[in-house]
Amino acid sequence: MASIQNTYEPQYFNVIHPLDDVPEQKCTSEGLGHIAMTPAVRISLSVLRGYLILMTLMLGYHVLDLAGVVHKVF
Amino acid sequence: MRLAELELEREDALQGPAGRQANVVAMPEPEGVVVRHKWQKHLLTFLMVFGPGLIVMEADNDAGAVSTYMQAGGQYGLHLLWILVVLLPICYFVQEMVARLGIATGKGHAAMIYERFGKWWGHFSLFDLLLVNFLTLITEFAAISLALSAMGVSPYISVPASAFGLTLLVVTGSYLRWERIVIGLCLLDLTWFVLAFMVHPAWASVARNTAAPTMPLGGVTSSLVFLVIAIVGTTIAPWQLFFQQSCVAEKRLRFADLKWARLDTLIGSVFTVSVAGAMMLVGNYGYTHGVVFQDPAQFAGAVMPMLGHFVRNGILLLMVNAAVLGTTAISLASSWAYGEVKGWEHSLHKKLWEAPGFYATYIACVGAAAAFVLIPRVPLQLVIISVQVFAGLILPSAIIFLQLLLNDRELLGDRWVNKTWNNVINWTIIVVLFALSLLLAAQVMLPNLFN
Repeated sequence: MASIQNTYEPQYFNVIHPLDDVPEQKCTSEGLGHIAMTPAVRISLSVLRGYLILMTLMLGYHVLDLAGVVHKVF
Repeated sequence: MRLAELELEREDALQGPAGRQANVVAMPEPEGVVVRHKWQKHLLTFLMVFGPGLIVMEADNDAGAVSTYMQAGGQYGLHLLWILVVLLPICYFVQEMVARLGIATGKGHAAMIYERFGKWWGHFSLFDLLLVNFLTLITEFAAISLALSAMGVSPYISVPASAFGLTLLVVTGSYLRWERIVIGLCLLDLTWFVLAFMVHPAWASVARNTAAPTMPLGGVTSSLVFLVIAIVGTTIAPWQLFFQQSCVAEKRLRFADLKWARLDTLIGSVFTVSVAGAMMLVGNYGYTHGVVFQDPAQFAGAVMPMLGHFVRNGILLLMVNAAVLGTTAISLASSWAYGEVKGWEHSLHKKLWEAPGFYATYIACVGAAAAFVLIPRVPLQLVIISVQVFAGLILPSAIIFLQLLLNDRELLGDRWVNKTWNNVINWTIIVVLFALSLLLAAQVMLPNLFN
């Protein structure tokens, strides 16, 4: 005689809050030192340096302008 | 209870450089919430991850932003609404990179710059961040003082009380408590939509100006260019990069949480840009009714006879809310960054005495900015200009480090680095931000340069 088997198995999901979960091993820079100076990194940092120098010069000009030095010279 | 299937989704990270990214440590199974359906699992996981993206975005709608967006509406009506639509994906792409880097490394932005670019760039980034954040905090307290003075509260009461409240908010030793309160404050900004409906803008015109750029009367002027740059500058701020990465690290988001962190960031971006649009609509009332104003508090007072007490008090209180949100996020960005670099305990999970340096930095930032505002005849205009200049200075540099870190295959492995399409979009954003920052700084420092 054939019998009907109950194969239904309910599924459960355990949802854990990130703060309660076990810590993951993250990407670490330990032992890597500084970033590799690829052309992209070198160019980016050079552009950034140029930008900062330009901004500093503009700020210097502004300070001299406020102090009236620019008008006296020119 | 029998757990037929436990889906923890803790993916190992063996795709990275061999040896450095091992799988999770074998520990007793932490307790969680058991649910029966996959959609419940997704929803619950999202709700657990939700927070940093919304907070970082909405806190950016701080007092300075309220002023800028309302001025944009007051001076140019609805003509600048389209800029917000353009800024939406930019906000998302930048902050998505931050969330990704935070999840991959579990460390803050300042720490990563120090570790990968050395002390000089680390010191530069940190000093710039702390300075611009402090100057911004002064403007936040100035806004609190201004708004509550208009409601009859003396600055000598409102400013110290706000500083005390903002300190209490973080010293409870619970990140989650802080996060829930701040999310509540973010949601208070929904009131901007109520105010926007109450000023009855022409909705067809709103739709038209949102969908396509239109030229304001008078064409392109120096003032218009300045305001456009100010909108961009106020929507994407340097502290956001540091804040969200530290916040993600603080919340210990896991690799598998990235998709939910992305959704959180996207929701935050849409919400923030929509609130900014609502602020412009409120300011537009001044444009259509000939109300000239210098700041939102003045606008609130001027429109009260026409729009009533609810609108007036609503604008003033929302201005305070914006300043409070901005202050807590910006002060935390400074404290986290400084703590990371100094190697101190730097966590909201710690009690006051367990992380004294971290909390002292927060309290010092808040206290000093509040005290500065109470100095009689303090040059606030100079502070506001300095904020613009330094923000212009730091944003391109902070964002360039972010982009380089997201291309650091040695650190992140193939899994987390930017894809080619990421880089195309992000380099475009960086070039535009560089140009705008330079233009903004040039206009602020050399006002006669373009005349």
